[in-house]
Amino acid sequence: MPRRWDWLKDEMGGISKLTQFSTLMKFLKGRITGPDDITKCSMCPNMCRHACPISIVDGKETTSPAGKSRVGMMIEHEFLPLDDNSLFPLHMCLSCGCCETWCPFDFSVSDILRPIKERGIEKGVEFESFRDMATNLENHGIVHGELEEGIELPQKGDVLYLRGCEFRKDDQDVIEKTVKGLKKMHIDVFVLPDEECCGIPAYNVGYSELFRKLAKDIARKINNSDAELVITSCPSCAYAYRELYPDFGLDIDVDVLHIVEFMDRNKELLGKRKATVTFHDPCKLVNGLDRKESMKRVLESMGLSVKVPRRHGGKTFCCGYGGSTVSRLNEDLSYEISRERLNELKQESDKIITSCPTCKKAFDDDDDVNVYDIGELLYEVL
Amino acid sequence: MAQKKVIEKKTRGRIAEVIKKLTEILGEDKVSTARTDLLSYSHDYWPISLHNMLKDEYPSTPHAVVWPEGKEDVKEIVKCCYKGKVPIYPYGGGSGVLGATVPEEGGIVVDLKRMRSVKVYEKDLLVEAGSGLNGYYLEDHLNHQGYTMGNIPQSLYPSTIGGWVGTKALGQFSTKYGGIEDMLKGIEIVVPPGNVLSLRPYPRTSTGPDLRKLFVGSEGTMGIMTKGWFKIWPKPEKRIKLSFASDTLEDSVESVRRIMRRGAEPAVIRIYDKVETKRHYYNYDDIFGRVATIMVIEGDEKISEAEKNIVLDEFKGKEMGEDPVDHWLDTRFDVREAAEFVPMGVVFDTIEVAVTWSKAMKLYRDVVRSVKPLKGVLFASAHASHFYPQGICFYFTFAGTPPRKKGAEDFYQNAWEAAMKAVIRSGGTISHHHGVGRQRRNWMEEELGEAYSTLKDIKEKLDKRRIMNPGDMGL
Repeated sequence: MPRRWDWLKDEMGGISKLTQFSTLMKFLKGRITGPDDITKCSMCPNMCRHACPISIVDGKETTSPAGKSRVGMMIEHEFLPLDDNSLFPLHMCLSCGCCETWCPFDFSVSDILRPIKERGIEKGVEFESFRDMATNLENHGIVHGELEEGIELPQKGDVLYLRGCEFRKDDQDVIEKTVKGLKKMHIDVFVLPDEECCGIPAYNVGYSELFRKLAKDIARKINNSDAELVITSCPSCAYAYRELYPDFGLDIDVDVLHIVEFMDRNKELLGKRKATVTFHDPCKLVNGLDRKESMKRVLESMGLSVKVPRRHGGKTFCCGYGGSTVSRLNEDLSYEISRERLNELKQESDKIITSCPTCKKAFDDDDDVNVYDIGELLYEVL
Repeated sequence: MAQKKVIEKKTRGRIAEVIKKLTEILGEDKVSTARTDLLSYSHDYWPISLHNMLKDEYPSTPHAVVWPEGKEDVKEIVKCCYKGKVPIYPYGGGSGVLGATVPEEGGIVVDLKRMRSVKVYEKDLLVEAGSGLNGYYLEDHLNHQGYTMGNIPQSLYPSTIGGWVGTKALGQFSTKYGGIEDMLKGIEIVVPPGNVLSLRPYPRTSTGPDLRKLFVGSEGTMGIMTKGWFKIWPKPEKRIKLSFASDTLEDSVESVRRIMRRGAEPAVIRIYDKVETKRHYYNYDDIFGRVATIMVIEGDEKISEAEKNIVLDEFKGKEMGEDPVDHWLDTRFDVREAAEFVPMGVVFDTIEVAVTWSKAMKLYRDVVRSVKPLKGVLFASAHASHFYPQGICFYFTFAGTPPRKKGAEDFYQNAWEAAMKAVIRSGGTISHHHGVGRQRRNWMEEELGEAYSTLKDIKEKLDKRRIMNPGDMGL
């Protein structure tokens, strides 16, 4: 059977021996891999623009996926300096991975540009809000600085529940309901009193050393906890533990599941609810953990009437606050993206279920809707 | 730091004063003179621009970029620039391939992507869309509500509604749904010196000449579209996929001519010449080495079945089933080859032209024979992708590496020159749906003749100070 480039070799015929085609021929014969990832992305007409929340809402070429890569290419070529002005557009990225879904090369713009961001940090090119976050992570192990824990939770058990920074700071009610719900399922759940951030905010910004340090700390704590299973409320945490840590030589010795994955595996134990709801798939759940249909399946298994939003599963749309950088450098844009998404969800139902602390926080200020974390459903909120 | 490659930009009008005024009126958030932004808006997807970018050459940068959020903002921009005699370049998705948005005289790029409202009128089968609305966003929004606009260009993901109107675009399903000119029922547009024209949507109107059409394909030289009303269709209930392998291109082309003549309108028809058949169907033994044709028929179930029967009656070729069609559906947005080959120094482009049936094969042969022998050309091939009862659109692709001592642009222009001459010689039109931009402007007069002077007169009347995308289409 002919191979992919045979037609071109046929067309080139005798001229293929000429030296000016030698690079091309090496590529056609698979001897060289072709251009680097940033260059390839730069040469694309933005075939993922429609999926990128920044690009759809911000509408600027410079912050479009290929636009960011083009700026990255100019930095790599030393045509633009590695300074605040050049790095700013690169940080206008939610790290949602929606670009990767549509990219024929499977590029995540966030990933291919991360080395440049890391070089920026190494060179001391830091935005003040990034520095504040890093200081909090260094001093307190959490992006928000010192926290006041308001509720008493068990500190010993079989299943470790990792609550996540956002719920610990702003929504301890969800934590309480999730723990109660898990107990109702006869799960002997406990928490780490000194739970720390998984480090993904540091990773997103480009603080690679800080990420390593945080990852090492929390991995040690989890591995020393003797838990039989770990459940997280935050999909970014589950993604970090399962997908990122091994790349840095760190392994969690026990299975880590996001709460949706846990519920999906235990559907028969979930109670039935009667309500009409819609849902928001968090990007790290569908793109990071590749759970495209899990939210919908879990909600339907609970007997809920589920209105499926236009953008769901692999076509989800970030809440605007993912990725740790946009909300710190351009909070107005984060908010605008959250309204774009919220308005879409409101078309379906006034009851919105999500499964990420950041997403819940992004939608929580609208009085016309009730936003729930899926963990709350374990405790009969509907 | 490689600063040497910055080329001094051209300046027209009272640019500093206009930027200051626009910043006051629109607010700082909507105006930028940041270097990253100026570089980002210095090009579209014109292959020449891609080669320049790889060499860090940006010959045409604007002085500022603005992001209007509504009609009033656009009015102020046009007023201000008109008064200050500063050029304006409307910008959509930047996926145009002919340099239509390149700010070659400096000035202000107006990016419309923040104007992205959308409203569906179900009973009237109309959608009202902001000019900066993303194409995929619109189609997906319509699909979710049970409708389609049927305009699915390969640039669906990056392009905008305003860009479609500006370039007189059309999509892969055009043989059934038509081009954007068939879909556009109403338009709101700001023209110099800042007037808003609102041509409301009607099923049809004979209130004078159709002014809407003046702006379709005007590429921002006449005004800035702020929104449009477009025809929509109920989402098709039936889809039929057919494919054929024929011995010759003539067999396929003649088959489709007969099908069109009988009134069938398959949404998609694509005929690949032998080179392109090998390129796209290299892993299909029964098709490789022959001429592949794929079709998608869709719509009402009974009408679709009738169209299928006409196709089966008329097509001269072996039926190959649904699989080749699925292969096309799966790969039709894959533009990897550009990203892989351009950085290796390969110059390639596509040239889409149209011609009546009686001249179709002559034109095809003439273009391929004119381009292929040029020194450095690796291949020249074509497929036919849009059809009418009167004729056909051929979509040529050429690629090559410039011979020694010849730059990419010289090589590129030689290939274009050969193709354009062949098209005109064979009685075709030099552009079917990509538009004119800066690449095709030198051939405008040859095709339009005296009508080109009339077009220039209209432009001059509308835009006395020549601020609207000056130089595009040679205007």
